[in-house]
Amino acid sequence: MNTLFGLPVALDALIRVLIIVSVMTVVVMGLIYVERKVLARFQQRLGPTRTGPMGLLQSVADALKLVAKEDVRPTNADPWVFELAPFLVFVPTFLGFVVVPFALAWSVRDLDLGLFYILAVSSVNIVGWVMAGWASDNRYAMLGALRAVAQSISYELPLVMAMIAVAMVADSLNISEIVRGQAMVPNIVWQPLPFLMFFICMLAEMNRPPFDIPVGESEVVGGPYVEYSGIRWSMFFLAEYASMFIMALLGAAVFLGGSAWPFGEQLGLPWQILLTVAKAGLIIFVVIWTRASFPRLRIDQLMSFSWKLLLPVSFAQIMVNGLILVYDLPYGMSHTLLAVCSAAGVLFVASAINRSVTSPRPRPLLIPRSEAAR
Amino acid sequence: MTNALQPSEFEVQDIMINMGPQHPATHGVFRMVLQVDGEIVKDLIPHIGYMHRGAEKLSETMDFRQGIGFMDRTEYLAQFNAELGYVMAVEKLMDIEVPERAQWIRMILCELNRLSSHFMFTGAFGTDAGVFGTSFTYAFRWREEILDLFEEITGDRLMYAYFRPGGLAWEVTDNFEARVRQVLELSKQGIKDIDGLVTNNEIFKARTQGVGVLTKEQAIDWGTTGPVLRASGVQMDIRRDEPYLFYDQVEFDIPIGQNGDVYDRWCLRMEEMRQSVRIVEQCLTKLQPGPIQPERMPRMLRTPPGEVYIRTEAPRGEFGIYMVSKGGNRPHRLKVRSSCFANLQSLRDMSIGQYVADAVLALGSMDIVLCEVDR
Amino acid sequence: MTTEGAAPERTLSGTIWSEVDRALSGITASAERAVLDVIVTIPRDEVIRGLKALKADEALAFDYLRCLTCVDNEADGMDVVYHLYSTEKRHNVTVKVHLEANDLFVDTATTVWRAANWYEREAAEMFGVRFRGHPDPRTLLMPEDMTDTFPLRKDHPLAEIEVLQGEGIAWGVEE
Repeated sequence: MNTLFGLPVALDALIRVLIIVSVMTVVVMGLIYVERKVLARFQQRLGPTRTGPMGLLQSVADALKLVAKEDVRPTNADPWVFELAPFLVFVPTFLGFVVVPFALAWSVRDLDLGLFYILAVSSVNIVGWVMAGWASDNRYAMLGALRAVAQSISYELPLVMAMIAVAMVADSLNISEIVRGQAMVPNIVWQPLPFLMFFICMLAEMNRPPFDIPVGESEVVGGPYVEYSGIRWSMFFLAEYASMFIMALLGAAVFLGGSAWPFGEQLGLPWQILLTVAKAGLIIFVVIWTRASFPRLRIDQLMSFSWKLLLPVSFAQIMVNGLILVYDLPYGMSHTLLAVCSAAGVLFVASAINRSVTSPRPRPLLIPRSEAAR
Repeated sequence: MTNALQPSEFEVQDIMINMGPQHPATHGVFRMVLQVDGEIVKDLIPHIGYMHRGAEKLSETMDFRQGIGFMDRTEYLAQFNAELGYVMAVEKLMDIEVPERAQWIRMILCELNRLSSHFMFTGAFGTDAGVFGTSFTYAFRWREEILDLFEEITGDRLMYAYFRPGGLAWEVTDNFEARVRQVLELSKQGIKDIDGLVTNNEIFKARTQGVGVLTKEQAIDWGTTGPVLRASGVQMDIRRDEPYLFYDQVEFDIPIGQNGDVYDRWCLRMEEMRQSVRIVEQCLTKLQPGPIQPERMPRMLRTPPGEVYIRTEAPRGEFGIYMVSKGGNRPHRLKVRSSCFANLQSLRDMSIGQYVADAVLALGSMDIVLCEVDR
Repeated sequence: MTTEGAAPERTLSGTIWSEVDRALSGITASAERAVLDVIVTIPRDEVIRGLKALKADEALAFDYLRCLTCVDNEADGMDVVYHLYSTEKRHNVTVKVHLEANDLFVDTATTVWRAANWYEREAAEMFGVRFRGHPDPRTLLMPEDMTDTFPLRKDHPLAEIEVLQGEGIAWGVEE
């Protein structure tokens, strides 16, 4: 075990956890600011401008306000479950930071089963959601929590399957190794379909639009959060953005070449960090873009999309990968085959989506005024 | 007592969800109690009346000039259309002839008002469907231009009180025509923007097609009006069937839906916006200088005894004013036949058997204004 | 909009009345001409039969209820007013039912058009007219327990309400 400055393991772990929690909280606050600004630009607005230069201190002001607010608990709420629920969302989310590689040699702990670990801990927080929904004694919260469970379970599977497919190609579950393996070509070239599925499932896992059904403002007014206020609500909020950050980092590391491609090894640490930030930033930008432009899906559409399309396609992808890789073909040939098959899968998914919504239906008639007048 | 499980212990119970009066999707203070089985709506009970201000009673105490301002407060998204019904009722009862210029200006303002109201709908409905505020800001940007024009003319952004029995309160600004043309160009751009953002969006289509269907028979039986009625395939547009102002002198198309669902209502409103632009363009070519009030207007508005039911095509449908006069300077009875009131009755039929999220969309697609429903 | 004929002596010739009269055979109806529409007055006991006949008649086909409301004529009782329209034939007629002040009830029109439901609920709470056989006789706009006051009646006070709201409010009683 190599620890910082040769400290005992427990102390070393404590220091790392403290660094992660404090630094990441600040980063997440920055992320909230970025989201507000970018979203505002999509909506022809300016976003926060008043607090600090260019509104930079808006998140700080919000955080202060939230901390200072009264922590209200409804009389009928189940006290223990209600109070514990935010922790069960917050802690598992931040556990994900343990294996995320910020640069080639920069992660809290380099686990051999890192990919497996991150998917496992990121799905624990659903317990917190259900607790919040149940304990609030509010029907919107309950409905939201049930929706969250259904959605989380449905999208967990394709997410894992997509990750398995790419792990087969990368030949590892260690995230750092996956990143190093992409020094020449990022995985997205070989596996575009898993990347697409990862992106969709990521949106669903984070309850981001168009999959924000559990928290849909116009239906269940915030879902499980509806009775929370002050510091507990801000814990949910922080967890949401932290998980967005983790997912973006994960996507950048596993699919986009992380800090390795291009020339990560050669150009040193600053370039690696720049690469990570740029790639994660790109994913986050697209997530915000999606939020600004898509309406919300309905719960049955969401479920059937996952079970009837994403899951079978992901199984097919795994089988195809297995078939190609088992024959020990030369590198160029096997990977070209992978890329072709996966790209065909992307086209299939796109056409399936397109076919399901463009049903032929009569257009509105235009009747000239003079024609029908009597 | 036996420990055997009774069948009743396995009975599934529907839960009641109370939406409103304060809920982001109810557009004001509408309340509906949903009986849901999981996500499926089994029953829906609408409750209205939270915004009831006794407008009809108050109008009986106000003379005909004071009543105009009150109509703005009744229909706060289509104020000119509401005023028009009121002043037309007074004109009919008193048999006043309105000068041509005043009529054309009224028509321009009413159609622009329809545009601004439909912009409001597109924004609010997008939010109902879950577009996080983008459709709202898109729509409001262009609605703002129209409101600016109204402010220049009437001096107020929302409560205009500009129409008078006999004509208009005062002459429009000198650059009126140029400004209207400018606003029309911007509105065209706005319609294109919103069309591009929402109308052909796959998720939007998936969410709205086949949702909240109202058949032709249901639509007529419930007395729905406006785009809700036309989306169900009924050809009824008061501008065409019983032309008022100069609607018989301009050319425009009436969109008729063929599916009666939420998506048709959306498409109809988008099309109506384009037609409104077309109508205003034609009005501008026919606008001539002239008086805006009849030459001999009585100083005191007194109607002979009588009654009249004026119906006009407001953005949300038929806006009716039933005015009974027993002589004197104020109405004996004023009934406002609100278009949303009639549409809202059909909400239950639209929503039963659908998902909770669809009930929200069905409500949104009616474009309700609670001030008008409760009066 | 422009010319509506000479105002005082409006005749019924050339209006829809002849058709309506034919459809209402067996019902004692009288007609007068208002500014825009023809007003047909039907006795209370026959009104639902009359409305059904108007809806069912092929030439008339009044399938659309525009509006239903009441008018309080104080000592002369009340009128229940139905504004009908035909979406197919595109013509209008107004039907009136006269009620005596001490005997305010009429059969419900929800059996003819479902649209009458809310209009009748509103008229019932505002004027105290009972619509016999109404499927859902709750209040609509008023509070649920406010079934003894009828705000739109002419004898309902407007200004004195301020006095009722508290002792400190004096500006309601000027004299």
